[in-house]
Amino acid sequence: MRTWQRLGYKDREKVMDNVGTHENWKSCFSEVAPGLLLFARQWVQSAADAEDVVQEAFVKFWRRNHNIENRALLYAAVRSIAFDFIRRDKRRARREAIVFADAEPAIEPQFEWQDETQSTLAAAVGSLPHDQREVLVLKIWNELTFNEIASALGISQNTAASRYRYALANLKKSLQPQ
Amino acid sequence: MNDFSELENELKKLRPAQPSPILFERVEKAMGVWRAGASPARQPKRSPYNWLSLGLGLAAAAVLFLFATINMERTQERREKIAQISPAPETSSVLPERRNGSGGSTSLNRFIPTGATQVVYNTRDEGLQFALGSEQPLRRLRYQTHQTWQWRNPTTGASLRVSYPSEEVVLIPVSGQ
Repeated sequence: MRTWQRLGYKDREKVMDNVGTHENWKSCFSEVAPGLLLFARQWVQSAADAEDVVQEAFVKFWRRNHNIENRALLYAAVRSIAFDFIRRDKRRARREAIVFADAEPAIEPQFEWQDETQSTLAAAVGSLPHDQREVLVLKIWNELTFNEIASALGISQNTAASRYRYALANLKKSLQPQ
Repeated sequence: MNDFSELENELKKLRPAQPSPILFERVEKAMGVWRAGASPARQPKRSPYNWLSLGLGLAAAAVLFLFATINMERTQERREKIAQISPAPETSSVLPERRNGSGGSTSLNRFIPTGATQVVYNTRDEGLQFALGSEQPLRRLRYQTHQTWQWRNPTTGASLRVSYPSEEVVLIPVSGQ
């Protein structure tokens, strides 16, 4: 399996240029897909649902020929489609909740950890308040700037920055030994 | 100073879950369906200007400008010619007379009327009218015509034709029964 590599700023620009010129959408998608999936997982519980959301968002984004320099738009598309998905799926979820009421809920991990420390860190990220977690996900694993995060989430740049700081502070606090 | 840098580094080491290989196939299929469908293929970023239209427009404007310039020059020449052939020697010519002993250019530029046509293409009866102070009714007829006058210079063989639309109103007395 191919290892996930963090892209440098220039590499990332190159990747997004490729998306824009339709030279190699597969390599572009393989680079952005893990981050997009993680972002989608902030709203949908299962990995399969997140993949549905990401697929729809990516194809729609591609089809509409958006200016790829506006990266925030791709993430805004994921978010918007995830919200639609939640609304569509509410009835189904209610039915499933009744059927699987007695079953143990299977929580699919959002990260691939290698040791106990990473496992604890991933769990701490998962326990963050939602508004802080989505900013953290966009900043750390999708490498968006605060300006882009603000555009994607429809908040001010200052709000995005402060939510990020609160997220880190909360993580630090939760990881401190009792 | 950023006291979260160590934590940020730890977070960056955390790898997001990888998408399933099926996702790539699904996206590829969706792209294929879209490309095979009626939607237009993705194109490179378009310029906000349509350069072809702009170029054609400018070319058309240039051609019109040239035509206008040529027509103006021709009209100027024609006016000079008409001024030269007009039988109005009562006033002295503004242009200096030629003093080369040839007697001027009158004989060379003499145009003879060769034809005149008047085509009536519309007649309208506008009804009966009573002129002021008259008890006799008048029928008002309006003629719309197209008149053409032609001249020819027998020496040079040049011809001149002037056409213009005209309108004429005729009042015809109507006799009582």
